[in-house]
Amino acid sequence: MNFNSTGNNFGAGTISFKSHQEENFVVLNAKFTYNPESPEYQAADVLEIYVPDLSIDRSAIAGVFLRFRDVRDSYGYTWDNSGGTVLKSWVKDKNTLCIEKLTNFDEKGEITIYVLALYTMLARGGNPIKGTQTRLQTTSENNYLRWGYDSFFVEFEHWVFLHMMYSGCTYAYRDSAWECSLDNLPSGITADVPFCGGGNQYNPSVDGMSEAHIENGVLTCQTRTAGFDDTGHEPFIFAFLVRDVEE
Amino acid sequence: MIALPSIAFGGFSGSAKGVTARQVGGRSILSVRSWPTGQTTTAQVVRRASMSKITKSYKTLTAEQMRAWENLAQHCSGASVFGQKAELSGINLYVRLNANRVMAGEAIVADAPLGQVAVPNVEYSTVSVTPQLIVFAGIKHESSPYKLVVKMSGSQSAGISNGWSKTVIISSEVEDDWGEADVTKLYLKTIGVEPTPGQKVFIEAYWLDTSTGFTGQVFKDSVIVTGESSYTPRKRVTMDRLLPDHEQHVSSIDVDFSSGAPVVQYDVMCEGHSNVASSEAYLEQDLPEELRGTSWALGRGNGEDGKIVAQSYVMWLYGAYYSTPARITFAHRGGYYVKPTEVFGPGIIY
Repeated sequence: MNFNSTGNNFGAGTISFKSHQEENFVVLNAKFTYNPESPEYQAADVLEIYVPDLSIDRSAIAGVFLRFRDVRDSYGYTWDNSGGTVLKSWVKDKNTLCIEKLTNFDEKGEITIYVLALYTMLARGGNPIKGTQTRLQTTSENNYLRWGYDSFFVEFEHWVFLHMMYSGCTYAYRDSAWECSLDNLPSGITADVPFCGGGNQYNPSVDGMSEAHIENGVLTCQTRTAGFDDTGHEPFIFAFLVRDVEE
Repeated sequence: MIALPSIAFGGFSGSAKGVTARQVGGRSILSVRSWPTGQTTTAQVVRRASMSKITKSYKTLTAEQMRAWENLAQHCSGASVFGQKAELSGINLYVRLNANRVMAGEAIVADAPLGQVAVPNVEYSTVSVTPQLIVFAGIKHESSPYKLVVKMSGSQSAGISNGWSKTVIISSEVEDDWGEADVTKLYLKTIGVEPTPGQKVFIEAYWLDTSTGFTGQVFKDSVIVTGESSYTPRKRVTMDRLLPDHEQHVSSIDVDFSSGAPVVQYDVMCEGHSNVASSEAYLEQDLPEELRGTSWALGRGNGEDGKIVAQSYVMWLYGAYYSTPARITFAHRGGYYVKPTEVFGPGIIY
């Protein structure tokens, strides 16, 4: 089910959501930006997004992604030090989605938030329901883009959990726009997803954060942050994704 | 002056042998001086001191503020034992609402609330009282600014049908944890002795609106103390359920298996160990088969150096195996590894 926010307390304008909603959990997908200089944002203690009735009236904590842009030019070379981290988020009541306010990167200008999260209730009188893990099969030209063992998805009728671990890229393609077929990814997934990881020389409190796009079973990533291939900063994608299927 | 105080002789006032008669709003009020039946508790002393402080503070209000309290008091009624609506004065209401606020840890407010506030009634499905566990379950949650006030009595004879006058405040700020409220420690701290199986405990509960001091209707209940609890708490791993004498690599842990959804909920501070990018928590009790498996959740660095790096973590939920106790391994995967890292949120399980 798709819906638009009815308001927020940080000056972000209307936010469009994809959702799958059940009695005890919801999966929400949205991407939006805000301006840290706006008076509404500065007055807020917690970022609140007002939404039409959700199926749950509160949730446990989930994680959403914050991304800032930090692109510098140095001697004719573009040095992308964009980065980000995870913020805590929760459903406060049927009509309010809350996101922790983290001011560490306010001076960077416009901030992008990616909501690719599952919000669950607790004490529902049942055990967790186990899904089935399926290894992700990928194809790229001459296999220039390679993914780690921990790249997989767990499929449900209306949503998918996706985890991808970057393994390596053929040197000649390192600065190209990447395109990779996710051969067995379930249908109906279209989303911008943060690609977390890679060193961040100018913002050492966080890793780099690039953006990838998934549509029609193809992952594209136009550019990566500067330290993307740094050892020990393994890039990954972590997302609960709503499928575009008839509810 | 000694008078014969009796409601049959309206208009009398004065005190005689511990009985006081007075006229308030055309009503005859008789009050019997009460004497404490038990030792004064610290909580009682604190509350009496706060009442005195609140009463004195009324004099510091402006005339306009006092008028606002008088106006609001006209719309509020006090409890009556004569079946006649009792009138409240501005200072009565000021003291009553502020005493409630102070009891809930809030500051005294000088300005009267804009109007009377409707406060929800308490609803819960069960209360289980045993010597070891006193827990309310199925509480219909109310968000802030509401706090649950729970009053309970010590163990009374099972034959007593009306023992609510014996209740004392166990806590004025009970917050349910997803419908559960374990008040065992609060009960023992206040009452001092464990409830006795076969005897009866009386309970009063109401919601307190901490922003105004107004309270909801008092919900009265009683329960026979049992030897063992019939209540099964939800499945979780918390610090008190870790193996006490085993090396642990988490400084806090709450792994909750009660979602009924395809996820386990995590809130864990992983401290790491040796040179391995993982943390292990050893459990006192075995993990049942249906909760074992592999799970994934997000992490965020929480290092002293200020690193708040986003990471992904895989969790392996193991059952006991020969001499190795059940354990949960939190293994770092994506992003830069930071010690400590907070692993939180829902984790898919398979």
